[in-house]
Amino acid sequence: MAKVLEGPAMELFNKWGIRTPRHVVISDIHQVDGLVQSNQWMRECKMVVKAHEAIGSRMKLGLVKVELDIDQAVAAAKEIMGRTIQGLTISQVIIAEMVPHQEEYYLAVKSLREGAEVLMAKFGGIEVEENWEKVTKTFVEVGETPTDEQLEKCAKEAGFTGEMVDKVRKFAFRLFECYDNEDGQYMEINPLTINPADGKLVALDAVVLLDADARFRHPDWSFSFAPEFGRAYTEDEKQIMEIDSRVKGSVKFIEIPGGEVAMLPAGGGASVFYSDAVVALNGSLANYAEYSGDPPAWAVEALTDKICSLPGVKHIIVGGAIANFTDVKATFTGIIAGFRKAKEEGKMDGVKIWVRRGGPNEAIGLDYMRKLSDEGFDIQVFDRYTPLTDLVKFALKG
Amino acid sequence: MSIVANKDTKVVIMGGVAGVSAAKRMAEFSHLCGLEPSVTSFVYPPDAGKSVEIPFGSQFLSVPVYKTLEEATRKHPESNTALVYIGANRAYKGCMDALDNPSIKFVSMITEGVAEKDAKLLIKHSKKVGKFLNGPSAIGIMSAGECRLGVIGGEYNNLKLSKLHRQGSFGVITKSGGLSNEIMWMLSQFADGSTTTIGIGGDAFPCTDFVTFLEMFEKDQQTKAVVIVGEMGGDLEEKAAAWYAEKPRRIKLIGVVSGFCQESLPKGMKFGHAGAKEGQHGEGSARYKSDIMSKAGVIVPPTFGDLGATIKQVYEDLKSTGQIKEIDDVPPSQLPDLPRKVEEVIKAGDVQVQPLFKTTISDDRGEEPLYCGYPASELINKGYEIPHVIGLLWNKRLLNDKEAEVIRRIIMLSADHGPCVSGALGTIIAACAGIGLSQSVAAGLIMIGPRFGGAVTDASKYFNYGLVNYPNDIPGFLAHMKKNVGPVPGIGHRVKSVKNPDKRVAELKKCVKELGLRSPHLDYALEVEKVTTAKKDNLILNVDGCIACVLTDLGFPADSLNGFFILARTIGMIGHWIDQRREGGRLIRLYNYLVNFAVPRRREVPDKG
Repeated sequence: MAKVLEGPAMELFNKWGIRTPRHVVISDIHQVDGLVQSNQWMRECKMVVKAHEAIGSRMKLGLVKVELDIDQAVAAAKEIMGRTIQGLTISQVIIAEMVPHQEEYYLAVKSLREGAEVLMAKFGGIEVEENWEKVTKTFVEVGETPTDEQLEKCAKEAGFTGEMVDKVRKFAFRLFECYDNEDGQYMEINPLTINPADGKLVALDAVVLLDADARFRHPDWSFSFAPEFGRAYTEDEKQIMEIDSRVKGSVKFIEIPGGEVAMLPAGGGASVFYSDAVVALNGSLANYAEYSGDPPAWAVEALTDKICSLPGVKHIIVGGAIANFTDVKATFTGIIAGFRKAKEEGKMDGVKIWVRRGGPNEAIGLDYMRKLSDEGFDIQVFDRYTPLTDLVKFALKG
Repeated sequence: MSIVANKDTKVVIMGGVAGVSAAKRMAEFSHLCGLEPSVTSFVYPPDAGKSVEIPFGSQFLSVPVYKTLEEATRKHPESNTALVYIGANRAYKGCMDALDNPSIKFVSMITEGVAEKDAKLLIKHSKKVGKFLNGPSAIGIMSAGECRLGVIGGEYNNLKLSKLHRQGSFGVITKSGGLSNEIMWMLSQFADGSTTTIGIGGDAFPCTDFVTFLEMFEKDQQTKAVVIVGEMGGDLEEKAAAWYAEKPRRIKLIGVVSGFCQESLPKGMKFGHAGAKEGQHGEGSARYKSDIMSKAGVIVPPTFGDLGATIKQVYEDLKSTGQIKEIDDVPPSQLPDLPRKVEEVIKAGDVQVQPLFKTTISDDRGEEPLYCGYPASELINKGYEIPHVIGLLWNKRLLNDKEAEVIRRIIMLSADHGPCVSGALGTIIAACAGIGLSQSVAAGLIMIGPRFGGAVTDASKYFNYGLVNYPNDIPGFLAHMKKNVGPVPGIGHRVKSVKNPDKRVAELKKCVKELGLRSPHLDYALEVEKVTTAKKDNLILNVDGCIACVLTDLGFPADSLNGFFILARTIGMIGHWIDQRREGGRLIRLYNYLVNFAVPRRREVPDKG
């Protein structure tokens, strides 16, 4: 799944006729004054200013300012922009119209195996979690669109009455269309409210998760995806993602600050079992990583370089199951090159390397690894006869 | 017995390079098991009409490639399974074609990165047509001893080590491709091996789920137990647990789920496959799934590390109740090997091959070419030049700088002699006829022979003969030549004479003398010239003769000497070709007045009698 930040998410909503508050995203603080000139509404409405970054708890961190007039908004934008939070410099700010409202509703579309579910609730905002049993759902089979009747029924069951039923039905249909046509995986509006100015529904927030694998048929997706774990990607993570996007196979890397056990395993399946094994023995993970699908040696070398550069690492786990088609010799050549570079840079002092692997050319690959001990590496190498995750035990239990 | 894929499975592979690799792996498996090849054809429009060579034992199969699946199944009606390797943006259509094809009963989709909506539409369509589609992102299916779909099982030696040449008693279903292989290996170590192993793929919505395959395993009497390897996210493991708990099942079920690490990771940080996503309310986590499976009677080892022991325990239990009988395995050494490639056999020292020819000058088997042992880059870095390379490759000797200087001059002097000489003219005529560079240059080069540029070798030969046999007897040498050979090669010029000397010859002589090089042949030839020019003014030592003597003095063998002219003149010929092309030279046709038509007049052809 791939998260889209508020600004581009609202653009997608607008494309499918879903009203959102008027807003601008600023990535250069010098733009502010010009934008105020060209956007009449900014001189007429109260505004909210938020850091436009994938940071959790923005309100607590003081990265959201509300009820601002034009001067206050500009000042807030200037204040937020460029601040450094959790090692990330705020590079974008969103200024949006504040819509005064009474009611808060909830609307979402969620992908399921057989199709999708449209969810509605008359209790939006923070209340939706507490009132989850009052959320009504209606199922739409993949390849179909919801009928007026079913959306109407769902809205009525959620407690909407009178002309609101029709308004919610139409709005829900638009959200579904957006979800369906934009390869959504999850879309949520919370809160949804009535704009007292025109009596029309407006989406005050936009949670949009798209299917990154569908990017090929959406040339207008000009935005990049945001991480979902409440912090922005680090520079090293971005570099590996960039490599991942252009090589055969895959290389993945996520940092976990403070950990002592660095992971360099092969395979999307085995890598998680390795992480599980570390956690089960009370080890602390320094990262998640994975390479698979016979990636080129240079990509694995780049990944190794990042892993060896993690601070405070005591062990590196070069694990892996018996590969089907990833060439052990070739990928290990990349890892070894990365290790040598790291050693020259003094990054391998006090670091123990643990290797277990099987697959095409396993004998040669493992032999190359064994020979690293002649170069002064602290390395233990195991073959297929040592069970998959045992080396984690050896590493952590001594 | 096995499920889904068996000895009757005949496969159409849809897709290019990856499909061909899979076909090779599948043929290896057929070879191991002594089965007929299972791949009937490929569907890959760019290569339609061609065929692909697939090694099979010591033979090569020729497997045809078609533009459409319809054509493939029409030509090979025995095909009943489609293996899809088409790229993610076109795989949906390929799978729809396969589901709609009446011959195809089962589709395995290997393609990774398929859009979720496409997968969901494929699930819907496969249900509608009542067929199974495995995948996407699925490594394939391995029915031990019977059929391999895809590269699952890895390289040949692993097939043997994991005892995949024959059926065991355990089924396997995993989301991960690498782990499917690992579990087969574990089953061969801790139990009696596997029946069928299925990778269903790690996407959010695998088209075919655990339960579908569990139902099949339950009906397969050979399968006594099944190992499922699950991951956090989705609800396929929960459904498998519910299926197992629903009523007493014949098969034992072992299950492990990955993703416990999630509990101690920052919120929202998710690892692994696309499908490994926890639900909003804790359901779908590794712990939740493991608990549900345990409650349903599934044997759940505490960690993946305990799986081997669990498998062993289940195997021993099944053996003690008589449900499994121990298999009397043939030693791996009695299983067929993959025929080794000639290179491998030679490397192992098991065979002696009579080389086709030998080389004594050049070797490019290492990182870079070695010229008579010297790495090319080192020659460059130490300031050596083209004449030194010529010395190494033509005469196996590293020249000194004086010698190199002479060669450099010879090449410079001989590089071109205008457009009218035979060689250049040949090249120009070809160039103007629209012929390519290498052929046009070749047209010029074939002119080089006894009358044009080719006298160097002969001159060397005869001046050397004279020097050896008539060292102080020039008239004797000339008499010998007149009697046995004819005009002395290297002596005489159509235009140049004593009064109108050839500057190139003068330059070369001067150079040799100034550099102080030893020059017995040149000196001898100059003595000959004195005698011949006394007879006739234009019987001078010409440029061919001069070059021949200088090079012979440098120790180059006589038969290599024409090479200098060929090499040098090639520079000019390439120049003429480029020149004509750039200037748009028109097709050349000789004017009639340049030909003397000394032919009979037109006359009547007599009737054929």
